[in-house]
Amino acid sequence: MEDIIIKVTDLVAHYGDFKVLDGVSFEVRRGEIFMIVGGSGCGKSTLLKHLCGLMRPTSGEILFQGKNVAAMDEDELAEMQHTIGIAFQSSGLFNSMTVGDNVAMPMREFGNVDEALIDNLVRFKLSLVGLAAAQYLMPGELSGGMRKRAGLARAIALDPALVYFDEPSAGLDPIIAAGLDEMILKLKRMLKTTFVIVTHELESIRLVADRVLMLDKGKVVFCGALDEAMTAPIERLRQFFDRRPDEYIT
Amino acid sequence: MSDTRLKAPDKLNGETGARLFDEARRICRKDIKTLILDLSQTRDMDSLGGAWLLKIAEYARRRGGEFKWEGQPEAIADFMAMLAPALKMKPRPARKEPGMFESLSDALTGAACEFAEFLNLCVDAIYWTAVAPFEGKGFRFDAFLDEAHEMGVRAIRIVCLMNFLLGLIIAMLSAKQVEAFGMQIYVANLIMIGFARELAAIMTATVVSARTGAAIAAELATMKVQEEIDALRGMGINVAQYLIAPKLLALLVVLPCLVTLGLISGLAGGAVWGVFVLGFRPSIWYQQTLGAAYMDDIIQGMLKTVFFAIAIALIGCHNGLRVAGGSRGVGLMTTRAVVMDIFMLICIDIVFAAIFYYLLG
Repeated sequence: MEDIIIKVTDLVAHYGDFKVLDGVSFEVRRGEIFMIVGGSGCGKSTLLKHLCGLMRPTSGEILFQGKNVAAMDEDELAEMQHTIGIAFQSSGLFNSMTVGDNVAMPMREFGNVDEALIDNLVRFKLSLVGLAAAQYLMPGELSGGMRKRAGLARAIALDPALVYFDEPSAGLDPIIAAGLDEMILKLKRMLKTTFVIVTHELESIRLVADRVLMLDKGKVVFCGALDEAMTAPIERLRQFFDRRPDEYIT
Repeated sequence: MSDTRLKAPDKLNGETGARLFDEARRICRKDIKTLILDLSQTRDMDSLGGAWLLKIAEYARRRGGEFKWEGQPEAIADFMAMLAPALKMKPRPARKEPGMFESLSDALTGAACEFAEFLNLCVDAIYWTAVAPFEGKGFRFDAFLDEAHEMGVRAIRIVCLMNFLLGLIIAMLSAKQVEAFGMQIYVANLIMIGFARELAAIMTATVVSARTGAAIAAELATMKVQEEIDALRGMGINVAQYLIAPKLLALLVVLPCLVTLGLISGLAGGAVWGVFVLGFRPSIWYQQTLGAAYMDDIIQGMLKTVFFAIAIALIGCHNGLRVAGGSRGVGLMTTRAVVMDIFMLICIDIVFAAIFYYLLG
């Protein structure tokens, strides 16, 4: 049990009357890269928001290091959120601050780091994502790929045990996307961080994932190792990995 | 000057990193040529350890030396490979503050460029509002109706309320001042002339600039940030025609209407005090009010609303289109638009006051 960092049991979520997540259950192991995949609108991003406490479920349990996120009060939730990192699809960088100040913000707000060392720590984090030279630039001066990496640097600012990453490769060219995948693998190796990544980029899944959860219409279609996902005889999974459109389903 | 060697501990973290930095400072008292960090014993490194490494490299460079490392084992090879660019990076040069003349020249050049841009926008907007539709180049009439509804109909309540309250306040204040002379009936004259010439126009335009001017600036700034303006230009659509002309015409139409409503509300506010507190019969107050002002007073009040409308619409558009950066830029430009609007309203009012009260007598 010790190597389980997240355990989700029978999670149900609604948008109004519409059921977005329907009895979702799975586990994430410490130190792995766990990818949540599926077509557009299947509930991937909604699931991610529930995992990091940005949304409350209708029912079900989300255990993060043994504590139920769904039942936490605001203070407990904030405390839990200080121990995780979230990298958003559009990076979520504050445009009014330099890239360095964006990364320094969680250190100054919640970290226990001497102010004299923060500048070096920021450069260290930016070095890990290949952006050491961008410390004094404004987010508006960065390209799409650089913004994603800067968002990732902010997410790992406090050395979280777990990083949630929403669509890391979306909208990036294949070279930048491959570089970002490589970086996630290195960060996992170096910082021993667990990654939960929402994506539908097939190449990224093949290169990076340890285990895969596939959602379809809010339900879990498959949850298991990448190797199994590549061969499992589940039609929706095969259709996804073979890039077949809906009308070819027999 | 010589090479100086420093041995890193087996586990490089916040605590051992701080000790290593102290050691580096101790052995680098004199100027050094190269500080070489021996990492052969280091098996583990965390973020704080990495931050201390950067601090040591920075310190060595400040002492005029070079920072090198060697012997890193496989366990931290990835770390060192990713840190290498930052460890070799030169410190950021201090920013040179511009001199007085340089700052003055920058400010003047900036102001001149902005003024040229504003004039360009004015010419474009006036052409697409007043000339192009008569040349058959089209005008977005539906957008004009939407804007007129948003800027006019939805502003009626706040405009009427503000003017009513202002009328009430002025009646209270002035009645008290003339009470001793038994001339309280002349409060009606004061309110009529004050609102017809100045107060209805300036109060209504201030409310509209805070409401509509800010909305125009924020809307265009957000569109610019989200590349919607570029999308319009990319489709070969003129921004002045598509976005600015309907707003300008709508404000030109609705502002005089709102000022008229503001005038009636202000007079009503004064009448409420005159009738219910000062005890005048409504017919007497009404006659006194009507007899107080001439058509000229109302015309000069209304005439300036045309210039107010042009100023509010074009300053909002100008600031919205000048936005740079993201959400903060939108906020800054919206604030700037409102401040510029109010300043410009006062300037226009001064010009009108000078023309009507002194030049034309």
